[in-house]
Amino acid sequence: MAWFKTLNINYASKDMKKIFFITLSLAGLLSACELDNYPGPTASLSGTIIDDETGEPVQQDIIRGTVIELTEHGYDPVQPQYLIIKNDGSYENSRLFANTYTVQPVRGNFIAVEPQEVAIKENTKLDFHVIPYIRVKDVSIEKAGTIIKATFRLEQTVPNNIVKIGLYAHPDPHVGEPMAIARTEQELHRPVSDDELFTLELDPAAHTEFLKQGNTYFFRVGALIDVGEAKFNYEAAVAIAI
Amino acid sequence: MKFKKLYIFLLFLLPAAGCNDVLDLEPLDKITQEDLFGDPEGTKLYMANLYRQLPIEDFTFFRQGFNQNGPGPNNGGFAPAMVTDEAVHSEFGDFLGDGDFNWWEAGYKLIRDVNLLIEAIPSLDILQEEKDAYIGETAFIRAYAYFALAKRYGGVPIITTQQQFEGDPEALKVPRSTEEETWDFVLAECDIAIENLGTQKGRRASKWAAYALKSRAALHAASVAKFGNRAPLSGDAVDQRLVGLDPSLAGKYYEASIAASEAIMSSGEFGLYKPTPESPEEAAENYRQLFEDPNIASEEAIFIKGHALPGDHQGHNYDIWFQPAQVANGWPHPGRMNPTLELVDLYESYDQPGEIAPIVTTADGDIHNYNGFNASRTYLRFEHPADIFEGKDARLRATAILPSSTWKGIPIIIQAGFIKPDGTPVIRTNDQVTVNGTTYYTFGAENTSQYSGFDTYGGNNTRTGFSFKKFMSTDPIVPGWNQSTSDFMDFRYAEILLNYAEAVIESSSPSGEAVAKAEKALNDIRTRAGHTVAIPLTIENVQRERRVELAFENKRLWDLIRRREYHTEFNSRMRRSLMPLLDLRTTPASYIFVRASVPNTNPHTFQPKSYYRPIPGIGGNGLVQNPQY
Repeated sequence: MAWFKTLNINYASKDMKKIFFITLSLAGLLSACELDNYPGPTASLSGTIIDDETGEPVQQDIIRGTVIELTEHGYDPVQPQYLIIKNDGSYENSRLFANTYTVQPVRGNFIAVEPQEVAIKENTKLDFHVIPYIRVKDVSIEKAGTIIKATFRLEQTVPNNIVKIGLYAHPDPHVGEPMAIARTEQELHRPVSDDELFTLELDPAAHTEFLKQGNTYFFRVGALIDVGEAKFNYEAAVAIAI
Repeated sequence: MKFKKLYIFLLFLLPAAGCNDVLDLEPLDKITQEDLFGDPEGTKLYMANLYRQLPIEDFTFFRQGFNQNGPGPNNGGFAPAMVTDEAVHSEFGDFLGDGDFNWWEAGYKLIRDVNLLIEAIPSLDILQEEKDAYIGETAFIRAYAYFALAKRYGGVPIITTQQQFEGDPEALKVPRSTEEETWDFVLAECDIAIENLGTQKGRRASKWAAYALKSRAALHAASVAKFGNRAPLSGDAVDQRLVGLDPSLAGKYYEASIAASEAIMSSGEFGLYKPTPESPEEAAENYRQLFEDPNIASEEAIFIKGHALPGDHQGHNYDIWFQPAQVANGWPHPGRMNPTLELVDLYESYDQPGEIAPIVTTADGDIHNYNGFNASRTYLRFEHPADIFEGKDARLRATAILPSSTWKGIPIIIQAGFIKPDGTPVIRTNDQVTVNGTTYYTFGAENTSQYSGFDTYGGNNTRTGFSFKKFMSTDPIVPGWNQSTSDFMDFRYAEILLNYAEAVIESSSPSGEAVAKAEKALNDIRTRAGHTVAIPLTIENVQRERRVELAFENKRLWDLIRRREYHTEFNSRMRRSLMPLLDLRTTPASYIFVRASVPNTNPHTFQPKSYYRPIPGIGGNGLVQNPQY
């Protein structure tokens, strides 16, 4: 503290010296912080993936499913954000910063759509009108005796092969191919015609490890098209007590 | 007071003195490049530090990175094998996360350090041979570093000089090269190393280690080219070819791998350790010894990372983490490595060469039923738990500790429960029953120190039915951090043979001569394991042999990645256990086994984006991010 003494400050006590230091550092701190005056993440974006032909929402997966890529403008480089889409095809992010974004659903279960520029503000709505690769139609999932039996038809909108079809089960309604504790799958590797009827059966007795008698589980049928990075197409899940 | 005035006077004098060079002192805790490399000993020291930074996937390689042997490296003993189908952790249910197995900043630090030496070599005051050796060694290190980057990130910025900061950070930014350019750079650096390094064996890089590196790296690149379409990715990084290789490139990389393996195979310098055992028992013991101390096998070991001394930054922790609970010797957290039933199933049976030999537990032979004990099924009964593994490849017993097998002189008790005489199953619930005056316990013994399986106590017991033997020291455990000093073979001859066999069978039109040579390579390894019947060279045979022979050598993670098999192998994937149960319905009591999912685990699904790791700090370094991050 020798240099302090050279400043010729006379302290009445040790405490006073302490107070001097505290005041000095507080003054320093206060002058350094100014509240940032940017608005919080109050903007939101929500909407639904809609089948352009039928007007129905396009069913999705929450794990490893279609995602919406958001690229915020004004930053370069910028790390894109990804929004997960709910099983029923709807999505929402209510904690975005208001700004212009490039928005594009990517790696989806429908024919690719172009990116679009969107000025996201409070309550911004944005639906995507798409052509799903496959429409899963005439679905019936029922308990036949002790067996779960699903029948359905497939309508494909592109000429590619259908890789496989499957019946998936999970205790959570978000059941899907990447989220199943029991499954029955059939590899097709061929195109299908609209009137072909598919039947898949799942015997809960063969999956007693996960499917317990008396409990209710969600069952969902899906099909995968042979397109790079494509995701499964589904119809809504059905709850069945086994 | 007079003294103080003098002091103030001196203070005023200081700024004047500032114009002088009095203050331009060299820091005393740093050494200049000239002084360091001016002394040959200094260069050696510097080189030792480069070797230490080398990304060798040995016993100190965990998901957090390399050299995880600092003070108290408490990573839970979660080894790379546990994100694959080789093993599960006794407690953790984790899977591959975005933050795992990254190596970016440490990688570029090593690259900067090695570039600095590469630039200094021409000015070193040493003999030309010594300079050549340094040129070879530094190229080896740089190839090794870029290989580690390429297999994680795809194409990366290739920096070959020691960058100088001259006020403009933008001038330091180097864009990513394509994945093809990056692999080509790795292979070219290997070639410089091969050309300049000597043939001496030892702990330092040799011509052979450089060939081995090239064999491994080229095989990785070839596989990415051939199998990339199994998991297509999209995005800027793909469009700019920063990740992914065109399928047409597979041929040149397979050829490079084949040529590098061939150079080692035809050198006459290497062979398999104890290649012709008299019996499976002998084969098992030879194989076990090879990993307990690879220094006994100079014919097989191509490049060894040593752990010469116990202690922080020197020893490792495989023994304390992974030995079974009964031999913990006071260490509180043993038993973490639990080999899976899937791995155990893979080992061939001597009487059915060329096929996987799944453990059959029931009379109906159904090996796909994992629904747990079911009294209505007929289970096969065994007098001793070891009997069910009868006739399986010797390497199984040298890799895993099987239920009731002897390790360090004591029987390792692994039991999941018992069936009461009235048929009531007691499985993984602590209980006991007395039959004819003898008391039986769920886990095979009364106290936690007397068994090694299925009790969740402390996370110390296997939950797959198997404990871990490969690499384990037969010495008593020293219950402390970083006390293990076993050495690790980074490259060994068997891997080269398997790389060769894989590259030959996967390449488009191998010559008959190459196929014959590859088939011999495959079968030489099997002969060393006690097999007597040769099997043909097929993709399935090579992959099964690779998984068995190289199990737990931290190869499986990268094999799943490079062959793009991860997302199909891990799609809502449960890993499986074999539960030995004591059946008290018979007199004397017998053993039955239940194939089941590993208790208290969830299914795992691999995300295709994980074929590449996320590049950190793209806001600062301006690089194109990998897909989907």
